Amino acid sequence: MASKKTIKSAFESMMFTWGEPLDAKTAADVFDITKNEAYEYFKELQTEYEQEGRGIVIREVNGAFQFVTREENADYIERLCTPVKAKKLSQSALEVLAIVAYKQPVTKGEIEAIRGIKCDRVMEGLMNKNLVEAVGRSEAVGRPVLYGTTDTFLKNFGFTSIKDLPEIDDIESAINVDVEADAEAAGGEPGCEGQMSIEF
Amino acid sequence: MSYKVKLQSFEGPFDLLVYLIENAQMSIYDIRISEITNQYLEYIKAMEESDINVATEFMVLASTLIEIKSKMILPRMNVEGQVMETEDPRADLVERILEYKRFKKAAEILQDRQEHSQHIFEKPQEDISRYLENPDEYLSLDLKQFASAFSLFIQKKQKVEAVRKHYTRIERERSTMEGRIKMILGAVRRKIGQIFSFRELIPNKEDRYDVVVTFMSILEMAKERVVHVDQKSLYGDIEVSAGERVDEDSVLEKYSRDADGQNSIDFSKEIQEA
Repeated sequence: MASKKTIKSAFESMMFTWGEPLDAKTAADVFDITKNEAYEYFKELQTEYEQEGRGIVIREVNGAFQFVTREENADYIERLCTPVKAKKLSQSALEVLAIVAYKQPVTKGEIEAIRGIKCDRVMEGLMNKNLVEAVGRSEAVGRPVLYGTTDTFLKNFGFTSIKDLPEIDDIESAINVDVEADAEAAGGEPGCEGQMSIEF
Repeated sequence: MSYKVKLQSFEGPFDLLVYLIENAQMSIYDIRISEITNQYLEYIKAMEESDINVATEFMVLASTLIEIKSKMILPRMNVEGQVMETEDPRADLVERILEYKRFKKAAEILQDRQEHSQHIFEKPQEDISRYLENPDEYLSLDLKQFASAFSLFIQKKQKVEAVRKHYTRIERERSTMEGRIKMILGAVRRKIGQIFSFRELIPNKEDRYDVVVTFMSILEMAKERVVHVDQKSLYGDIEVSAGERVDEDSVLEKYSRDADGQNSIDFSKEIQEA
């Protein structure tokens, strides 16, 4: 069996050649090692690149790994050339995307219930940008299409996997804490006109 | 309470409602429904005055607000004067507002993340086929897709057939076999004993149609033993010379009769009949 050093070295070469995120399973098959072992090696490489402060770092996308530039070097790259930037998403697109990301798999109906407004056109835009995709059909009446986010979404928003999304409960508790503080300030009297500020 | 809103800047009814509540510095757990409802309706009125097509979704929330408002007015005591333990009519609305705010916040987080990720560049996968030896090509179709592709093909074919039934493609008559036989016969008769090359019997060698007409004429004439044909090697030139019945006009007569003013190899006719 190849030594750990050989395997890690080979993984670097493979990532370089592949360009796109290289799946740990695919890389593991080359050496006849388990996916978990390969994943560990990739993580070790990732740490090494990170610690040495290299201009190239290793990005994880859904269990696959890819060489990308270091974020801090963006200014220098832009002085060298003008990379094409993805257009920023509109507020409504971001809202819909957030709902899909957190509630996936989710139907259009569920998204519309939360925002109180139709989302067909926004969803179409997100699908065209390959940020969301149909992932199946719900068992509910009419068997509506279920939507989920794509690996492109993970890449574009810098998440390694869906589990990497900040806990939505954290957001909720942040809201609750604020509100409780406000409620105390208001003295609990219904319809109180006290000055309250809610900032989220 | 005065408020200023930028029209058109709301993503939906909840976006507007949240804005109004925050602007009025209310706790979402204790919304002053009557005040908010009035503001909400005023906003919709302003939208209509500005000729903005008010989405029906805005009206739906307006009616919900009014419903809650009316429920709030109802006495909360029963006949015996006891306060009833009823659910706050605003509870559902609060729940929905919270849910909406949660995702609005999540959207902000996403926006921030996207900002950062824009500073990271990747190299898209290049064409690595030159590293791959003899890559196998598979038709990446399952049986279902294949079957539907096939039925689509059949459908198209049927459509084309249907059109063909009504229309016949005709081309300007060029050389006929009758004319060509006449020409070859004339040449052979003039110089009995000479061997002609197949090629020199084609008036226009570039034209495939002309080649075919000459070839078929020669076959027909060979059958009637008007000419004699010989090919010395595979794909070699075909040699044409006078046959034993070169002086008989039977082959010509046959074609004049068949042709009857029409090209005897009129394919369009066959299609029509089919």
